[in-house]
Amino acid sequence: MSAKRGTHEQFNGGFLDGRMPSLIAAAHELKSPLALMRQLSLMLETGDLSAAESQKMLRQISLTSERALRLTSDLTRSARLDDAMFKLEPINPQQLCEDIVHELAPLFSAYGRDVRLVPRKHPLLLVANRDLLRRIIMNFSDNALHYADSNSVVEIQVRALNDGQTIRLGVRDYGPALSSDMWKSLQNKLTKAPQSVHARPQSSGLGLYVASQFADAMHGQIGATRHHDGATFYVDLGASHQLSLL
Amino acid sequence: MKKPTILIVEDDTWTAEQYARVLDKAGYRTAISPHAIAAIAAIDEVHPSAIILDVLLTGSTGFALLHELQSYGDTSVIPIILCTNLAADIKLDDVSPYGVRRILDKATMEPDDIMAAVRIVI
Repeated sequence: MSAKRGTHEQFNGGFLDGRMPSLIAAAHELKSPLALMRQLSLMLETGDLSAAESQKMLRQISLTSERALRLTSDLTRSARLDDAMFKLEPINPQQLCEDIVHELAPLFSAYGRDVRLVPRKHPLLLVANRDLLRRIIMNFSDNALHYADSNSVVEIQVRALNDGQTIRLGVRDYGPALSSDMWKSLQNKLTKAPQSVHARPQSSGLGLYVASQFADAMHGQIGATRHHDGATFYVDLGASHQLSLL
Repeated sequence: MKKPTILIVEDDTWTAEQYARVLDKAGYRTAISPHAIAAIAAIDEVHPSAIILDVLLTGSTGFALLHELQSYGDTSVIPIILCTNLAADIKLDDVSPYGVRRILDKATMEPDDIMAAVRIVI
């Protein structure tokens, strides 16, 4: 429908300096959580709510603000990738993902969803920066939280590919299938500027763009796989040869 | 008298709950659909008196849903209230042929605005 495309094109503003996401995209991305927090705050001001309802809304405000703060923190980190030195080191992705699951569990629970790590028998090691990798998986998980059906489980998976040379960390959600057109656009634009068409259309694509920047800084790449009932967003990183020492 | 049912099509769970909270207090029945596919099923089930619709939804967009609703005689007459962060970019004249009667800006609306808009359109 032409009206839709015409409206969306306005959010395709590229970059200020070739790396930094546009202010328009960042502002748009932050608008939703801010608008929600404002609505909830105004409702609380009326005072016409039960204690339980008020408590629930206060919790929603806290969790929503944390999500918004994560995005602002990612943006800052992304803008400073060129300036900052960061260490690449062998990391146990299973342990990292366990920590992320533990951290995100309250947020998912508040949304009536669950997040879990798919268990593995054999340990894997990859080479990455712990902070950047954590931000990527948090980002994918935030995306999945929004996209997943109510009461569904978002799964974080760790797999070895290419005879163990590559480690893939994926975040699988179960939600409505994307249309073919939307999927093609997503595939084409996953690592480019914040885009209008996205796994989360309400999103400018800024979060995934930032994730792609972080992956690139670690010599990795992000991607997505379409399923009939959802999607998997993943990051591929090089395996650590120290695995043989385990 | 049977309370009118308002269908809320909004993919942010807590935003949808907030709209429902306001409308429930005002005496309306509410149903929530997180995306367009669910909304089409819900329309057949609850026969809403009005639809509150976000534009940027997961999966198909709100505009795709508007287009679908206009394809059928019974659904084309359901008044639509767009409730969106894109309000500044959408002109009511452009979308009124699709049944849109009001546009609310999520960033500036007051909680009761949703109730006022519903009262006007039904």
